[in-house]
Amino acid sequence: MSRILIVEDDERIRSSMRLALEDEGYTVEDVASGEEAVGRFAEEPFELVLIDLMLPGIDGFEACRTLRHQSTVPIIMVTARSDTHDVVAGLEAGADDYVTKPFVAKELAARICALLRRSRPDAAGDSVLSFGDVQIEPDAGVVRRNGEEVHCTRTEFRLLCELADHPGKVLSREHLLEQVWGYDYFGDGRLVDVHVRRLRTKVEPDPANPRFILTVRGMGYKLAV
Amino acid sequence: MALETPTGRRHRTRLSRNLGLRARVTLTFAIGAFALSAVMAGITYFAARQSFLNEHQSTDQRQAFANASLIKNALPSAGNQPSGTQVDQLIGSIDTLPGSLSVLHTGGKWYATSPIQVGQSAIPAELRTLVLHGTPASQYFTLGNSPQIVIGVPLPAEHSAYFEVFSLDELASTLRTLAFALAAAALVTTLAGALLGRWASGRALRPLAGLTDAAVAIAGGQLDTRVEAGDDVDLLELASAFNRMTANVQDRIEREARFTSDVSHELRSPLTTLAATVGVLDGHRDELGPRARSALDLLDADLTRFTRMVDDLLEISRFDAGSAELSLDEVDPGELVRRAVGASAPVDEDGHRAPVVFPVEVGPGVEGLRLRVDKRRFERVMANLVENATLYAGGVTRVEVARHPAGVDDPARSIRVIVEDQGPGVPEADRNHLFERFYRGSRAGRRESSEGTGLGLSLVAEHVRLHGGSIWIEDAPGRGSRFVIELPLEPHDEEEVPG
Repeated sequence: MSRILIVEDDERIRSSMRLALEDEGYTVEDVASGEEAVGRFAEEPFELVLIDLMLPGIDGFEACRTLRHQSTVPIIMVTARSDTHDVVAGLEAGADDYVTKPFVAKELAARICALLRRSRPDAAGDSVLSFGDVQIEPDAGVVRRNGEEVHCTRTEFRLLCELADHPGKVLSREHLLEQVWGYDYFGDGRLVDVHVRRLRTKVEPDPANPRFILTVRGMGYKLAV
Repeated sequence: MALETPTGRRHRTRLSRNLGLRARVTLTFAIGAFALSAVMAGITYFAARQSFLNEHQSTDQRQAFANASLIKNALPSAGNQPSGTQVDQLIGSIDTLPGSLSVLHTGGKWYATSPIQVGQSAIPAELRTLVLHGTPASQYFTLGNSPQIVIGVPLPAEHSAYFEVFSLDELASTLRTLAFALAAAALVTTLAGALLGRWASGRALRPLAGLTDAAVAIAGGQLDTRVEAGDDVDLLELASAFNRMTANVQDRIEREARFTSDVSHELRSPLTTLAATVGVLDGHRDELGPRARSALDLLDADLTRFTRMVDDLLEISRFDAGSAELSLDEVDPGELVRRAVGASAPVDEDGHRAPVVFPVEVGPGVEGLRLRVDKRRFERVMANLVENATLYAGGVTRVEVARHPAGVDDPARSIRVIVEDQGPGVPEADRNHLFERFYRGSRAGRRESSEGTGLGLSLVAEHVRLHGGSIWIEDAPGRGSRFVIELPLEPHDEEEVPG
């Protein structure tokens, strides 16, 4: 059973989320603050973290960054608003996805399911993909640059694989959202944008002037060949 | 008791409103300048006239007395009557000014220098009497049409009287010229006054132009507009009062928007708990009795509606606060509409979407066009329109995506998304109001079964406006109404990043 850590300061929301996720078959543990979350995470591994952005003490962003430094665990942030800079800031702090309050339990379960599914070793391809000085081993879930391992979250890894699978082809945001996150056409394109930005800092020699992962204005992204 | 009639007051108000402030100031200046210059001109004229007349009179008197003493010396003393011829010669020898006339009364007869025999009739009777009784006198009078002055000198020792009549024609003409010049000067002054008034009012009103611009900007929603006071002490007060007022209004509007936003946010926490627990209950519905299940369904349905309402209120508050932002993507219009329509179909209990039962037609020339749009907002727009049609108009009959202008040879300027229904149509009078918040119009009272929040169409309009587009309602051919959304296509971008 997958273990999920819920970080949420509102006790009733915490309890209801716990009930809902336990009904979906997850083992759930909940904490009320960022500090507790970081401490708890250090003691025991979790397969996914749900973190509210508005927390007393160290806030969700900070907790997210701390967890991200320690692990590539999938993180879903829970925000009160979808259109502010919170979303982008949260994604930049290392979150893989977000849900907006109030969310439907089924929706949240679907997001969790999508993240957990792809965080398991992917069997999509068996050959080694490569571009520039980057090698990707889809089976092992490893990315190397000049032979040295690059630490990617699994979402970043999936995104990189998707791009590397179609070198030279423009992939729309919608396509990437569907393939990597399991969203439909109306998914939030900012997820793709932020993850591409993060990926560039890891595989591009000069992230500000990318040579491999290129933006095609108004169309999407492509991997240069 | 005289009461002012309302009509009278209204009439006055209208009059002063008809004349703008500038015109009124100009008129006031003109009237002032005219009055002042008229008084000055009048004083000048009368003073000049008086002084000219006095001078003329004293000159005339001197001459008349000089001539009188000449005549007195030439006339024989009393008792010796000179002959008519002698007197005629005497008068003829007198040196007179041009236009003046000497009349002598001696020996009971009148003699005059004029070639026309004016005689005593030229001289006013009272003066004649006065002088003949021994009093020297002068008098103004008119002869024919020309002004004259007559000076009478009695010569008692000779039983005679000498009169000299001077023409004032020249003086009159001088005064006429003067009057004309003064009138012209008054006219020029009046004009100058009017111009000055116009200039001054223009100058005084110039800061008002700034205020007008600011007010227009504020009315247009730019609440952070302020006016510059400059260093004019008089304007400083107005400007600061204006700015204070604007700041208050802005503060108030922002507070209201914040309040709505805060309320919506605060509602989100309990709603999250409610949604999660209702989800849990729903997962255990098999363990519930039929009555509890019905209650749960009711709870679930209204929780969904409540959540929608909170979402809509939050969205509205963002529009009100001007903080709504577009997250633009460049998309294929046909696909966008197809997807949005697909997403708007209701979901059944197992999470499957119902199939779309109406056609989505993509017109000629739409393919290949790219529309910059916020997909999430557009999805809301279509969902709300489809829902509106479902609730009030028997459902959507067709959706069309067309380019505008329709001719494929002209460059497309916008994309029109047309949603037709088969309802009773929307009366003309309702069409403009339909996009207002909580407007129900002729549909009032049909709420019971509705799941609408009352904000749907107003949000549709706001979303479309945020895209720089517009929405309106027409009659659909045959029956029903047709909602038309027009979204502008951006002019082709020059700075395309080469792929």
